Amino acid sequence: MLKLLVFMPVFGALLLAVFPVRRMQLLWRLALFCALASVLLSALLVARFVPAGEAVQMFESRAWNARLGSHFALGIDGISLAMVVLTAILTLVAVLVSRQMDKGARLYFVLLMLLQSAMFGVFTARDWSLFYVFWEATLLPLFFMIDRLGGENRQRAALNFFLYTLGGSVFMLVALLFLYDAAPGHSFAMPDMAEGGRGLPLNMQLLIFAGLFIGFAVKMPVVPLHGWLPLAHVEAPSPVSILLSGVLLKMGAYGLIRAAETLPGAFLAVQDWLAVLALLSLLYGALLAWRQQDLKAMVAYSSISHMGVVLLGIAALNPAGLNGAVLQMVAHGLAAALLFLVVGLLYQRTHSRDLADYGGLLGRAPRFAFFIAFGLLAAIGLPASAGFIAELHVLIGALQRWGLWVICLGVAMLVGAAYGLRVIGHLYRPAPAGCEIRDMTRTETTAAGLLAAGILLLGIWPAPLLTLVGGSTARIAALFAGG
Amino acid sequence: MIILLRDVTEWVWLVPLLPLLAALVTGGRVLLGRGSGDAAEPLTERLAELAALASLLLLLLIDLSVWWHGWPGHRVFVTWFAAAHWQGNISFLLDALSLPVATLTALIGWLVVRFSAAYLHREAGFHRFFIVLSLFLAGIQGVLLAGNGLLLFLGWEMCGVASFLLIGYAWQRPRATGNALFAFVTNRAGDAGLLFSLGLAGFWVGSFEWPALFDAQLPLVDLRVLVLGFVVAALAKSAQLPFTPWIARALEGPTPSSAIFYGAVLVHAGVFLLLRLEPLLRHLPDVMAGLLLIGALTAAYTWLCGLVQTDVKSALIFATVFQVGLMFVAIGLGWTTLATIHLCLHAAWRTWQFLLAPSWLVLTRDRPAPPPRWLAANQWLYTAALQRFWLDKLGLALLAAPTEAIARDVRALEESFIDRAIGEPGRGHAVQPDRPLVQADGLAGRLLAGVSDLLQRIENRLLLRGRGGVAERLLREAGRWLQTLEELLEQPRYLMMAVMATFVVIL
Repeated sequence: MLKLLVFMPVFGALLLAVFPVRRMQLLWRLALFCALASVLLSALLVARFVPAGEAVQMFESRAWNARLGSHFALGIDGISLAMVVLTAILTLVAVLVSRQMDKGARLYFVLLMLLQSAMFGVFTARDWSLFYVFWEATLLPLFFMIDRLGGENRQRAALNFFLYTLGGSVFMLVALLFLYDAAPGHSFAMPDMAEGGRGLPLNMQLLIFAGLFIGFAVKMPVVPLHGWLPLAHVEAPSPVSILLSGVLLKMGAYGLIRAAETLPGAFLAVQDWLAVLALLSLLYGALLAWRQQDLKAMVAYSSISHMGVVLLGIAALNPAGLNGAVLQMVAHGLAAALLFLVVGLLYQRTHSRDLADYGGLLGRAPRFAFFIAFGLLAAIGLPASAGFIAELHVLIGALQRWGLWVICLGVAMLVGAAYGLRVIGHLYRPAPAGCEIRDMTRTETTAAGLLAAGILLLGIWPAPLLTLVGGSTARIAALFAGG
Repeated sequence: MIILLRDVTEWVWLVPLLPLLAALVTGGRVLLGRGSGDAAEPLTERLAELAALASLLLLLLIDLSVWWHGWPGHRVFVTWFAAAHWQGNISFLLDALSLPVATLTALIGWLVVRFSAAYLHREAGFHRFFIVLSLFLAGIQGVLLAGNGLLLFLGWEMCGVASFLLIGYAWQRPRATGNALFAFVTNRAGDAGLLFSLGLAGFWVGSFEWPALFDAQLPLVDLRVLVLGFVVAALAKSAQLPFTPWIARALEGPTPSSAIFYGAVLVHAGVFLLLRLEPLLRHLPDVMAGLLLIGALTAAYTWLCGLVQTDVKSALIFATVFQVGLMFVAIGLGWTTLATIHLCLHAAWRTWQFLLAPSWLVLTRDRPAPPPRWLAANQWLYTAALQRFWLDKLGLALLAAPTEAIARDVRALEESFIDRAIGEPGRGHAVQPDRPLVQADGLAGRLLAGVSDLLQRIENRLLLRGRGGVAERLLREAGRWLQTLEELLEQPRYLMMAVMATFVVIL
């Protein structure tokens, strides 16, 4: 089942690559079909998953390289399942909004399918070597997508992105090899490595953890290592931005949660420092987002801020914090995707990302205005949006651990509200004369509506997601309950 | 039949609820645009009348049941809200005080509703009047039947709002709205007292229920403070000194409303509250002496003022407050039964008089009696009575004017300092010249701008974005070193050296 999930997009990509049509619309239909199939499959997974059941379900393992001790092991728990569903939905959205591509449609769709396969792989791998392979495999499609299809600075952005993440993952690889060395029976399987990791002396654990953290922190991104993100997000074509901020950033957070399982001692020792980094990211991202007049840059920086919330939740290491972190991953996935979608489509029409050109959008293109406002309010974390539930959980979790330091979270939210409301306010201004904007088409509205409905649904009725995730997060929090 | 009557007490909550429902339905009709024209009037009127009549009948049935089953006493129906050990209940206290007064009030309410239908026919605010009147009937029954302080407060406020709305019934006239505001603000002073006492009751006694309050063993000092808040509320509502001026201004409303509010029912609410608190008052002779004094002073004051009034409504209202003052005297002397009977008789009589007021000129052909000679002879007293002892102006000069002055000063402070510090929308300065939409104002905004400036500089310098960034330079430097090293290693002699070094290590 999971194998099918991971490799179906690859077949899709092959099919798309050799399918003998020139017309873009047919290609689009085919890609849409593939994305829908993935969504269906992930829905099937949700139906078969038992939240109260075992830790890892639908586990399948096969020796891959017996001499090295690596396995082709797939399995899901609540957290990975949530991420799988998010990936499937966001890929569908990315396909939906790329109905009118100017050029390079075939390449784009093929790469998109490959990327989806790699992302599924990252979230379902239960073996660190396999995880690493999929992790690196996400880089290639992204590199080409940004490099071939991006904006004017695309080469620099692509190279920058590639080098940063590759640099991070080198540290990760070294750390994994160290851990492999320490694991009993020299195996890459996650449980084996976790067992080995827990037995290590603290200094060694800290060293290994530092390596892993650098790898994940680049992806997440955490503040001093976020250099690739603004440029990549701004230059990437908007469907790619959707996936970048919606899923790729979550891979970092997801990896960090897995690392916490593996090296609990080290995690506990650096817990406070992680919180400091998280608060720094929060404020840094929010303040820089506030400065931007370029909408896409603003959303990109706000992503840094929101991922700070995720890191804070993970660092709290209690059920509320971890639940909040996973919820925020989903919530931010949906909200940031919605914003990038709308801004990207607007850019397609106006060839400007400057807020000044969007004055009076409410009168000219009401659907655009509505979805921008909706996305911003959801990103602020207005009650009845998924972000509210997530931020509340993180707030409670962090408050239990650090007390009043979480006031920084409040300040960042406040700054977030400042720039969000500035944009919303600007939509009402009188329009500059003489430029018409075509409003969203039906397909685009469907895609945006899908995301908006998800945000609302999770904001009003978060219980299903909480049950899905709760078992797994409780298990992780139990590792630290003594500490 | 008698058995059935036993259960009728269980339905007492309908008494305040029915008029409220009538108000809601009529309000909904007006909102839906069904409230215009002659055709819409009968339904509005009939709804209000039906609700009032049903309340009356229900109360009569309860009265009947008392005959066989005795006084129902304190009945708790639902818990309204509960937080920790605080509990607000919907409870009613049906005893020899509340049931007669409530029944009489329901009767007066029903009659006034019937009277108003014809009186207000084709008035612009016909529906509004009936909505507010129903609201008032619900509120006053809440006051009278309430089994705890919270429910009483709820009804008390509903009456206050209804009174405000009906004084300002003709809102097109500035005088009416001004008077409405005056009455409302004066009453708020009493509400503050009520709220204060309720807070103390919750704090000291832990309950708002009347029986719990009466049985509480509080130290006399605490009890005195507790009761004083109620007393202030009662004085304000019943227009005793020094709150008397508001009631003369309250007559702006339509006549039926004046009748029921200030002639008959609302003005007695304060008296009722004190009668209700009689078990507490008994412990406090000094407070009772105070009530006696205030009642006597009010009676004297209103008597003097009443002597010189020249219009029928003013004369009536001063006469009313005179009687209410006498009730306070009775309470101060501890004659509560007398006060209750006086209240009921006076309410009935005054309703009739007030409803008749518009026809007074027709009914009495004679000139009104001139003020007595001794008053006319005493120039100073006559002027004082005519000017109502300047209480009105005194209140304005002592309370309103200083408040206004402080408000002006605070506004000035706000404009020149606080607004600047907080920042105002639309007055911000652009943080960067090329981003005119990113604006900041006020201290917080400046701080935000400063910090974000700093961060932006770090972002530009440190990261790989800009040409010549620190990280890029370092990387290039490292690259050059590595390249040199590699070039060196490629030369045979160093290659050999490296190989030999490897051998040495292995060996």
